Amino acid sequence: MSLESLSVVSALPEQAAPDRPDRPDRPDRPDRPDRPDRPDRPRPSGRYFVGRAWPGPRARISLAAVALVLTLWQLSGSLRWIDPLLLPPPSDIWVAAQELLQSGYRQTPLWQHVAISAGRAVAAFAVAIVVGVPLGLGMGRWPTLAAVFDPFVQFLRPLPKIALIPLVIVWFGIGEGAKFFLIFISSFLSIVVGAAAAAQGVSQARIRAAQTLGASPRQVFSHVLLPDALPGIFTSVRLSVGIGWTSLIAAEMVAANAGLGWMVINAGTYLRTDVVLLGIVLLGLTGYLFDALLLLAQRRLVPWAGRDA
Amino acid sequence: MSTHVPHPTVRHEAARISLQGVSKRFAGPSGQGAGHLVLDQVSLSLAAGEFVCLLGPSGCGKSTVLNLLSGFERADQGLVQLDGRPITGPGAERGMVFQQPTLFPWLSVADNVAFGPRMAGWPRDRLQAETRRLLAQVGLADFGEHFPWQLSGGMRQRAALARAWILQPEILLMDEPFGALDAQTRLAMQELLTRIWQQERTTVLFVTHDVDEALFLADRVLIMSTRPGRIEEDLAVPFERPRTFEDLVAEPDYGRLKRRILKALRHGEAGAAPLQSPPQPLPRAA
Repeated sequence: MSLESLSVVSALPEQAAPDRPDRPDRPDRPDRPDRPDRPDRPRPSGRYFVGRAWPGPRARISLAAVALVLTLWQLSGSLRWIDPLLLPPPSDIWVAAQELLQSGYRQTPLWQHVAISAGRAVAAFAVAIVVGVPLGLGMGRWPTLAAVFDPFVQFLRPLPKIALIPLVIVWFGIGEGAKFFLIFISSFLSIVVGAAAAAQGVSQARIRAAQTLGASPRQVFSHVLLPDALPGIFTSVRLSVGIGWTSLIAAEMVAANAGLGWMVINAGTYLRTDVVLLGIVLLGLTGYLFDALLLLAQRRLVPWAGRDA
Repeated sequence: MSTHVPHPTVRHEAARISLQGVSKRFAGPSGQGAGHLVLDQVSLSLAAGEFVCLLGPSGCGKSTVLNLLSGFERADQGLVQLDGRPITGPGAERGMVFQQPTLFPWLSVADNVAFGPRMAGWPRDRLQAETRRLLAQVGLADFGEHFPWQLSGGMRQRAALARAWILQPEILLMDEPFGALDAQTRLAMQELLTRIWQQERTTVLFVTHDVDEALFLADRVLIMSTRPGRIEEDLAVPFERPRTFEDLVAEPDYGRLKRRILKALRHGEAGAAPLQSPPQPLPRAA
């Protein structure tokens, strides 16, 4: 296994070098906005997938770096540099993954652990977005609303959510409600702050332009404010989903019997460090997948982000 | 139309837009105190179909005049009127072109131009026909499907011009719209603007600090002094239309007029900084 990864590393220098010269005219950077003569320009959403082999120069470096770390990690186990009980090598995790895929962990199949965690998180994110974005936009536009909510948001946001667990159990019991609430509250608060900032950052000049074109306050809101704030909202949602996912462990510490977070904690008490690491890898990958999906949606829905007009 | 001779005397009875004895004071740096007087008893009026340039050094309050007319700001004193009605807020009958194009980057160029009509709920075919007509008029017929960020600065400003003009405003307010363009593009834009204006005959109030631009575009030039802003002089620009820069600079009157304007500008600026005045903070961009 390490042979493959080593060959990638050694292949890197001469593969990365020839790609350098074509960087200046990256199609996604309109450094020369004064060149209008590009009628057949691909739609911005497609620019990462068209006309370029997937592992571009940067992706290749990233892949090589990951391969190198995986190799060293594997060697640390295979050559007994570190006790595999403390740091099981990737091969052990692979074995654990196959074992769990076949027989599950504690009577629950592995995919269900992933699905339960992802489901809890997605439900909480959805509600946080639906409630948080309008509230944040409102706070960004109406100082009175901001003055009312700001003290609470600013107090709760930096609070470690683990501190809320005892209260949450008292309020919601040990069912799904408690887990939902913990993920919800942590992502909700940062969505509110991000959406408020996005609404405040809306270009006053564009609002004025729309007003001189006869747009009513309602039209200004839906046709100017909302689209202008959308890139900022997307960024804040991406950050908040990351934060919400982080609090999954806290949520699943609350008397769960399934889910990735619970699996990690439970396996830790039995010293199944391979399962712990497998859980960590899956937690990381799922979080990464969420972000990648949001990034894809962002490119598709707000291709004008950061553009000048 | 080409024999149009600009009439220097203002027909007050037909005044489309007017400021009468308008004063405006901005708050001091800390929001308290008397602040400073930006406009002091400014009176001006534009007749229907007139092209007037408001000329003055930066900070003299010429943008404040536009902001009063567009309805973004209120006068502390005096009357601001359109066709005898007081102006109380922004409205589509007063079109505005800003120094920056301020297009909407989420809309195509054609949708940007059609923004006003869409807000007003025009029927679809009229909206599309007018959008096509305006795009052609500003030379962007082939760029309707593009997005603003794919256009050059001059093209964006042309799109902004079409966006303001499509609503057939009663008056077009222009706030140094070509100030951010390079000299060549600016010249082309000035010619484009006069060409369209000669067809549409919209009343235009055009703010600039460029004397040549004012003389090329205007029927009448109003020269403002600075701090407090006053109308220093009101000059008719007698040159035949259509004008070209080459012919204009050959006119003997051109040099005389330009000299007079430059003098008036210098006078207006000198009056602004009395000797005993303390060192000024950075002048507020007005």
